[in-house]
Amino acid sequence: MFKLNLKIALRNLWKNKGFSLINIGGLAIGLASCLILLIYVSYEWSYDKQFANNDKTYVVYQSVVANGKTFSWSWTPNVMAREVQEKIPGVKYASHSTYPRAKLITVGENKLGSKAVFADQNFIKILDYKFIKGNSRQVLKDVNTIILTKSFAEKLFGNEDPINKIVKLENQDVLKVEAVVEDAPANSSIKFDCIMPWALFEKTESWAKEGNWGNNMCLTLVQLQDNKFFTEANGLMNGIYQRNQKDNTAKALLHPLTKWHLYADFENGKSVGGKIDQLKIFLLLAFCILLIACVNFMNLSTARSEGRAKEVGVRKAIGSTRKSLISQFFSESLLITFISTVLAFILVEASLPYFNNLLNISLQIDYSNVNFWFTLLALMIFTGFIAGSYPALYLSSFDPIKVLKGFKIKTDSSVSVRKVLVVGQFVFAACLIVCTAVIYQQLNYVKNKPIGYNQANLIQIAVDGKVRDKGKIELFKTQMIKSGAATDVTFFSSDVTEGGNNTTDVQWDGKNPKEMISFNHRGIGYDFIKTMGTEMISGREFSPKFPNDTSNVLLNEAAVKMMRLKNPIGKIITFWGFRLTVVGIVKDFVVESAYQKVAPMIFHLGTNDNANMIIARLNPNQNISSSLAKIDELVKGIEPNYPVNRKFVNESFEVKFQDEKLLGTLSNWFGGFAIFISCLGLLGLALFMAEQRKKEISIRKVLGASTANILTLLNKDFIKLVAIANVIAFPLAYIIINQWLSAFEYRVAISFIPFLLAVVISVIIAVLTVSIQSVKVAKANPIDALKYE
Amino acid sequence: MIRIENLEKVYKTEEVETTALNGINLHVKEGEFVSIMGPSGCGKSTLLNVMGLLDKPESGSYKFIDTELLTLNDRERSNFRKRNMGFVFQNFNLIDELTVFENIELPLIYNKIPTAERKKLVNEIIERMNIVNRSGHFPQQLSGGQQQRVAVARALVTKPKLVLADEPTGNLDSSHGNEVMELLCELNETGTTIVMVTHSSHDASFSNRIINLKDGHVISEKINKSRNEELI
Repeated sequence: MFKLNLKIALRNLWKNKGFSLINIGGLAIGLASCLILLIYVSYEWSYDKQFANNDKTYVVYQSVVANGKTFSWSWTPNVMAREVQEKIPGVKYASHSTYPRAKLITVGENKLGSKAVFADQNFIKILDYKFIKGNSRQVLKDVNTIILTKSFAEKLFGNEDPINKIVKLENQDVLKVEAVVEDAPANSSIKFDCIMPWALFEKTESWAKEGNWGNNMCLTLVQLQDNKFFTEANGLMNGIYQRNQKDNTAKALLHPLTKWHLYADFENGKSVGGKIDQLKIFLLLAFCILLIACVNFMNLSTARSEGRAKEVGVRKAIGSTRKSLISQFFSESLLITFISTVLAFILVEASLPYFNNLLNISLQIDYSNVNFWFTLLALMIFTGFIAGSYPALYLSSFDPIKVLKGFKIKTDSSVSVRKVLVVGQFVFAACLIVCTAVIYQQLNYVKNKPIGYNQANLIQIAVDGKVRDKGKIELFKTQMIKSGAATDVTFFSSDVTEGGNNTTDVQWDGKNPKEMISFNHRGIGYDFIKTMGTEMISGREFSPKFPNDTSNVLLNEAAVKMMRLKNPIGKIITFWGFRLTVVGIVKDFVVESAYQKVAPMIFHLGTNDNANMIIARLNPNQNISSSLAKIDELVKGIEPNYPVNRKFVNESFEVKFQDEKLLGTLSNWFGGFAIFISCLGLLGLALFMAEQRKKEISIRKVLGASTANILTLLNKDFIKLVAIANVIAFPLAYIIINQWLSAFEYRVAISFIPFLLAVVISVIIAVLTVSIQSVKVAKANPIDALKYE
Repeated sequence: MIRIENLEKVYKTEEVETTALNGINLHVKEGEFVSIMGPSGCGKSTLLNVMGLLDKPESGSYKFIDTELLTLNDRERSNFRKRNMGFVFQNFNLIDELTVFENIELPLIYNKIPTAERKKLVNEIIERMNIVNRSGHFPQQLSGGQQQRVAVARALVTKPKLVLADEPTGNLDSSHGNEVMELLCELNETGTTIVMVTHSSHDASFSNRIINLKDGHVISEKINKSRNEELI
């Protein structure tokens, strides 16, 4: 019986090639979209979960109240780990380490920039990276040692065994390679090329030796013996700052390692989500796309029901029960789903490299993973059952006598179900169009919001090695301008597109002693205003003409406002104990998030020691690539031992929009797929409707209807459905998008344009889809349909 | 009124070419009632369809009054058809989803007749056809004879110059068939030109002239004396 059913199913597929193609194709695209989204979600979901005791591992966060807001971040004092290890019960290991830092590693002439972590021994006990070579218990004990990742070791040494070989750090310290570990997976929060002992860090950066509860400079990880200790341990963490430093108002908390990546947003010292919200959207999207594909299937299968009615009648008449008919139709839908799954699989494999490239991540199918196969199987069965449910129940319900005697099946109820399904599909499509449009509007809005300085042709060059030496920056500056490569040059104490140092230790006359205000503070060079292309609101900038400028500062507008200064020029502020005079006010410009208001900032005259970035405005009259080549040559002339680290400011700035861009790109693509699948469904339905109404159309034509008349007739019904779908979709989309926008401090106002866009696009798509099919019928010779009954 | 000359029509399927019309010449005068007869496959339905502009011949000429119709494009054909011709089919070809009234009204809508006048015209013809009490019914609720009356009503409502009937009694029993034939005769007597394809010599006896077709040729023509005498 099964064999026979399979035969009938296959012959049916073959007989109705067009329908089968639409059916299988739609389902395959739906499944493939769903699979890719699920792979992406699982990629994000398994962040930092590769470690043995990841569920018992916590990241120490500190929360500080400043500017009336609570800020939480995972930067902690270097003395935190020891204190936690000794005083908090239930702690198995506590480690302190740096975040990955850019360091130069050399082997002979092979110079490579690397991401280096300096850590204590507990670090590799908590994060149990897999050791390929070397003994994990012996490493990080001696000062001048290093652990390499597999790929980095290959870059340095090729195929040679790196153990006990010598590398140089920053052209100074000679280190012995102790071990090689497996590369950290792409979905790790801490990505590095090498690990070095904390002691080495203290040796190279002498300031790090000093134990100071006020200096939040490293990452502290904690592993508990068991999670039953968590409540007590976390409670004790709360007051840890105050117990060690009386006037320190910061509070510490333990945040699970497994939530580090996805739940990174804090409000009032509590985790309130983060990337997980985006992930939920994608999960929903995956599910909805699959549902749309299933709906297609239902639509097409029931639309074809009349062709199958006779078979059902015969089967019932010769004794088949309804149950066996239902199981027959289910096995057919499972067969189609199976074919689609195979196709989807091919689609996924073919498109993954493209998506990886687009999203700058590395997704791949882990074929050895049992969960993957299980999910795939579950997805297939689920789809088969959902897609097959309505057709199976509907088709098996035909009354044998009626269908065999050739009575027309009453199609009213099934037509209305099909209409509901089409409306459902288009509600989803319209929602997606509105949401995608608003996401793009928001992205453009924030991108085009004035950032306060001119990014065009502005480059940053990292200050490395000898460039930092006395007088070298000035020399480099003169050379650059003289060569014509740059018109203006200055320097900045950190990357202008990133956050950096901040402090609350600023005093001035009229300050409310209870108020904590956090100021960013940066060292800047001469000609800063002109180079950046920003403006002075009042006063002047630093200049070599005023040798006294080391005791002067500039403020930005936000700082003046926060400090409530009426006539800021000439006011004295006390900054880290130094009394400094305000000589100028700089217009606000964005250094951190373009989504938030500009924070107060203090500028002081920088020195070679704290200059980390040289900023240069390229000469607009010169060829850019030759200017860049010239600059590289000049840097090499001063410091040949470092690779030149130079980047365009606008490129670094773009990175800030990565999350939103990703959301935009993904919703664009998958929204497009969803709409495409909906169109396939509509096409199928139109195909069927036109076929069913062939006779009517012919009669109308004989009676004088023009092609336009017929097209209007056929389109009218579908446009009605699409219009209804839009009406339902609008409030839904409004709620969703309003929710999404509410997370942004600067947000675009919701206008009617996205909604108009949704109506126009969905109607155009529906009309085109339906017309492609109906033009054929409308243009056909009317007699063809009337001649034979 | 109609001058058809050297009409040829070939049907092509994947392998076989069938010549349906092979150089047909036919003249029809205004007010005539012509029957076309012949065995199955002789091309009589094809001829009727070509005359109704529902099908295009390969070559030949088809003049209606003085207009050459075969050079018209689709839109012009459609316009000409709706102004000048009415159709009656063997299987009635009523639209199941429309009521009797709406079915009859449809050609008037396509001829862009204003609503009030449409109503008047439809009611007139419904009365004339004796189906007043059926005007709100759907086609399936009517007997075959009644359905054909509706179809005839629909063909006549635009007051066409030419009515083309393709086996109008083929699906009816003899008494209903006679009713329909009488209706066509009445119509003819009021001046409408009718061309009818039929198998039945009984039906053909209602017409003025009988044309016999075989293999796409006109093989004989016969004036129906009895009917012509009646007329005189």
